[in-house]
Amino acid sequence: MSTLYAILDWPGTKWVFLILALVMPLASILTWMERRQSAMMQDRLGPNRANIGPIKLKGILHFVADAVKMIFKEDFIPANVHKGLFALAPILAIAPVFIAFCIIPFGPTVYPHSIGQTLDPHLLATYPGLITSDPQAYKAATELFSDSIRMQIFQIDFGLVFYFAVLTLANYGGTIAGWASYNKWALLGGLRSSSQMMSYEVAMGISLMGAFLVAGSLEPGWITFHGASPEMSGSNPFNWLWLWQPVGLVLFFTAAIAETKRAPFDIPEGEPEIIGYFVEYSGLRWGLFFLAEFIEIVFVAAVVCTVFFGGWQVPFLDADGFRIGGYIDDLSKVSTGGYFAPLPHGLVVALQFMAFGVKVLLLCWFQLMIRWTLPRFRADQLMNLGWKLLLPLALANVMVTALIKLLLMPTS
Amino acid sequence: MDHAHSTTSEAPEGPHVLAVSDRHPRSRTIQVVRPQAQETTYLAATAKGLGITLKHFARNFFLPLKKLSKRNMAGAPVHDRWKNEIETVQYPEEKVVYPERYRGLHRLMLRDDGAVRCVACMCCPTVCPAHCITIVPEEAGDNTIEKRPAIFEIDELRCVVCGLCVEACPCDAIRMDTGEHAKPVEDRANAIETKESMLARGIRSTAVQGGEGPGWHAGAKSDGNH
Repeated sequence: MSTLYAILDWPGTKWVFLILALVMPLASILTWMERRQSAMMQDRLGPNRANIGPIKLKGILHFVADAVKMIFKEDFIPANVHKGLFALAPILAIAPVFIAFCIIPFGPTVYPHSIGQTLDPHLLATYPGLITSDPQAYKAATELFSDSIRMQIFQIDFGLVFYFAVLTLANYGGTIAGWASYNKWALLGGLRSSSQMMSYEVAMGISLMGAFLVAGSLEPGWITFHGASPEMSGSNPFNWLWLWQPVGLVLFFTAAIAETKRAPFDIPEGEPEIIGYFVEYSGLRWGLFFLAEFIEIVFVAAVVCTVFFGGWQVPFLDADGFRIGGYIDDLSKVSTGGYFAPLPHGLVVALQFMAFGVKVLLLCWFQLMIRWTLPRFRADQLMNLGWKLLLPLALANVMVTALIKLLLMPTS
Repeated sequence: MDHAHSTTSEAPEGPHVLAVSDRHPRSRTIQVVRPQAQETTYLAATAKGLGITLKHFARNFFLPLKKLSKRNMAGAPVHDRWKNEIETVQYPEEKVVYPERYRGLHRLMLRDDGAVRCVACMCCPTVCPAHCITIVPEEAGDNTIEKRPAIFEIDELRCVVCGLCVEACPCDAIRMDTGEHAKPVEDRANAIETKESMLARGIRSTAVQGGEGPGWHAGAKSDGNH
């Protein structure tokens, strides 16, 4: 059995699970959801026809129809394009997003031997250091916690810096697509893409700096697990960083939407009028750019959810059950007491998985709301917003947060 | 000159002039209106816009559809408190009833005995600007009626739906009041309406058959004498 758990805990398995179970379905459904939601916002019905026989599901199968259409479309490669880079660009656009998903904790650590029973977080927190003196307890704990599946592919201390580093590479996809297309409009679109990415990358990184200071870590799994303050349980919604970093949240969300290259920041593409970097692409290659954009929406939602909205945490659901009004135990640093309703570990894990999915879906929905509410920025307005507003505010946010952290919050 | 300048500076739509140069009266110092802080932060406007779109989305997402009769048919949209605001007509299942004078697919009218009313006078193919009507006449085999169409075809792909054929027809034999529009076809040949298909849509005309009878000429003269 432990071989099976070792395979399940292998990063490749988790990556395939995450991509197949969460990212691709959500990104595919977003292509339909975007059109349907924008229709509802504009008093229309939107696509509701695609069906397999009598199964209609409000047209949710439109993404299948779209995929089939894109596969069977002619894959036209114009003369004079740089063939190698032309083929490489869509992959460069989509691959970094897939890689960046590695750092997202999409669920709690699962202890397969405790699935049926209530987890004892004190035992877990003190295992194996403090209980070695009692061989009986040590043996029991070893049986319970010997196998674990951590629902995060790549746990590293510099997690969110890794995300910034990798996702910046996605920009090369757009820029190279514009250059390789041998088309002046595509080239200009690629240039706009680079300038926008460069401007907003800075503000984006610095706007998260306040969150790092408050949480005391760059590791998204740590931020999700512990929240802002060590005095409260990580499952307490008031311990999530939206309350501690409201300015950082607004700034990061704005910059992240700019990073996804969607309206109101869609000047690299501007499909109907100003013509973007993928003007020469057709068929499935264009589909990859399209899909990369939707996967980036899911990714931005996942990052915002992880850093600011407690990730997989369900409000007031600790590892051993629902608890309201508890306190933090000095020894094990987990919450105890309060009004408590115990739940088996399996149910807790299932609820936390669902919480992550629901939060990500809601944040995707909110991004679509913004995209269909605001008109496009002009290029100069975009630069003004990025350099003159977001960046100074982000810097001020870092300074104020650092001062508050230094003067008011106890060092622990 | 000075008077003229002072009037331009007082014009409400022009920029506010702070000073005018003595040597070059057209060189002026004007007050530049810069966007206020609340306009450049975009936050308030974004929140307001999100409120509007959210209201529409929530209403259309949670409330049921209005009945078709309350959506497009009555003209002005009907506000129903417990229904959403979606105006889309789902075409093949739902159809909007067209106005009475809507020019739809052609129909050939029938005589009282069910025969075709057309006498193949060739007025409609002559007047047709799109040359979409083909008539091949034949003898009717009846002394009171000289001709009838052996073939009467209208290419609905060429038809510009101008209605001139209906205007030109002297015996109310062709009409466009079916209220149907041309159906989608997979083959261009299927878009050609034949005599049979148009007769299948035909109805009996209330106009007097054969005009006003053999004595109409004399009757018209006597009318003139009155």
